[in-house]
Amino acid sequence: MKILLVEDEVELARSIIKFLTEQEYLCEWAANVEDATEKIGLHVYDCILLDLNLPDGNGLNLLELLRKDKKEEGVIILSANNSLEDKIRGLHIGADDYLTKPFHLSELAARIFSIVRRKQFSHSNIIRQNELEIDLLAKSVTVQKKPVTLTKKEFDLLIYFLGNKNRVLSKSTLAEHLSGDFADMLDNHDFVYAHVKNLKKKLTEAGCDNYLRTVYGTGYKWESN
Amino acid sequence: MKPLLRKTLKPYLTYIIVVLAISIPIYYWVIDAIWEHELDEYNSIVANKTAHSFNSLQLSPTELANSLELWNRIQPSTTIRKIQVGESLLDSSFNISRKEPFNKAEKLDRFRYLSKIIYIHNQPYRFTIQTNIEETRETIGHLATITLLLVLLLVSGLLYLNRRLSQQIWTPFQKTLASLKKFQLNQQQLPAFTKSDIKEFQELNTAIETMVEHSISVYKTQKEFTENASHELQTPLAILKNKLDLLLQSEGLTEQQYQLAEEMNGALLRSTRINKNLLLLAKIENNQFDSSEKVSIDTILLQSLDTLKEYMDQKNIGLVQHIVSPVDKNASSGLTELLCNNLLLNAIRNTREGGQISVLLDNQQLEISNSGQQALDPKQLFTRFSGISKSTGGTGLGLAIVQEICKFQQWAIQYEFRDGSHYFRVGFGNSTFLQN
Repeated sequence: MKILLVEDEVELARSIIKFLTEQEYLCEWAANVEDATEKIGLHVYDCILLDLNLPDGNGLNLLELLRKDKKEEGVIILSANNSLEDKIRGLHIGADDYLTKPFHLSELAARIFSIVRRKQFSHSNIIRQNELEIDLLAKSVTVQKKPVTLTKKEFDLLIYFLGNKNRVLSKSTLAEHLSGDFADMLDNHDFVYAHVKNLKKKLTEAGCDNYLRTVYGTGYKWESN
Repeated sequence: MKPLLRKTLKPYLTYIIVVLAISIPIYYWVIDAIWEHELDEYNSIVANKTAHSFNSLQLSPTELANSLELWNRIQPSTTIRKIQVGESLLDSSFNISRKEPFNKAEKLDRFRYLSKIIYIHNQPYRFTIQTNIEETRETIGHLATITLLLVLLLVSGLLYLNRRLSQQIWTPFQKTLASLKKFQLNQQQLPAFTKSDIKEFQELNTAIETMVEHSISVYKTQKEFTENASHELQTPLAILKNKLDLLLQSEGLTEQQYQLAEEMNGALLRSTRINKNLLLLAKIENNQFDSSEKVSIDTILLQSLDTLKEYMDQKNIGLVQHIVSPVDKNASSGLTELLCNNLLLNAIRNTREGGQISVLLDNQQLEISNSGQQALDPKQLFTRFSGISKSTGGTGLGLAIVQEICKFQQWAIQYEFRDGSHYFRVGFGNSTFLQN
């Protein structure tokens, strides 16, 4: 899997590259529009992570260029600007997702995971892990071909875990993922615990192996080989 | 409180009345003195003329005696009589008041007397003459009447002038006052003062203009500082967050280190949120939102409730809702969503387990209430970082944002504590959605 990161902030770029490389993504980096344009012309990527405020122009121009050339790369906008207008404009031009800085790297990984899957398997998008099957399009889960009914939040959590296989996901990271902007406003660690517990229970009751491990007391890790 | 001109008018009027009152005896004294002097002169002329006339007639002593006899009879106001032996030959003049015998009214008349020695055929005679002079009472009466008329004229004139002046002269001042009342610091607009040809008012305008300009620039600098600081903080915060994410993935991390990283994560999340909120406040103050969309308040409120219902359930909070539909207003949808979320979050955060939240929406207002123990200080409530929300882990900006949004959309926010509940009421006022 090849990913192009267009980001002018060196430290941010280094963290993102390090995190993604550990997950067996091949990550290339461009620090400005010029570099990025050149790289897009030469290679095909599975996903492009695009910062909007670049030293030599706006990332949106790059996006327009991509869509004009009918390139099918998935694009996630990484912006410091939280305004709704920017979000709408980005998505309108053809971005697949929009992530406001600062974000958790696990959140980014989960988004990349979904987009790459969507682009690659546009007709039947099914994730398999032994007895567990997840249909991303139908949003349904089966264990040993038997359907398991999950709530929206539980399904969401499951995808998040799958997008961050073998990684430590802390409770606060999960809380932010589930509650978004409200995460710090409400004391919702019990809330996370309740959802994870329910998911785990539903899967094991259906006969699924316990892939979800508790680490460091309060963190979680989805194990898969 | 009295208008300024009325204050100055009172001493003026008192002064005028006192001066005119004093003028009455002065006038009387002067007029009386002039009058006496003139009458003395007249009386003395009559005496001299009479002496001269008698002297020019060649009369024998008997004839003279007869003539004088006749004179004394027919000339009622004068007498001429021979000097007695040993009588002083001095002249004198004086006033006398007496009742005329033919006058029926009980009224004293005042006379000016002259008693003078005249010589007829070298013989001294005493000549007395009395001339009627205006009575003191009458003179004073006339003077008082005239003075009173003048006082009335002056007072009414002054009152009239005062009213006209207060309308004319104070117009520029009133205008300045009106534009100052309308002035709002966060709108960053210099009030327009009309030029005045009155020096003091022009000076006042110039002074206010300088002051307002200064305030605007200070406010702008402060706002820009907050804005820039928040903006510049974004990147380091993002870097920190990502480095913490990497730290969590490190091999051989101990549980203790993991907990430390988690605590850092929590603090970081809070600073990120404060930063975001400060930027948001700056954006609202800079009018960077469009408040002219037609916004369906009921839809937004129901969405917010739907998102936050889970958190209420988690705390066993009962929800009572009366939501009228449709409620359409001219507003910004993004800000309205924030307003609903912030008010609901505030209610959820500050309600104890098992408490109750009620949400009312109709065409005039949105009212969100939650059960609580004691009233909060409404003055502090909407101030930034007022400290009220510190204990509950908020950013101290949630309600400040609510207030800014209301201000921006010209809605009114009110807080009230009654019957053991906190009530937050947003009145939509007259900003109802206008049908095109």
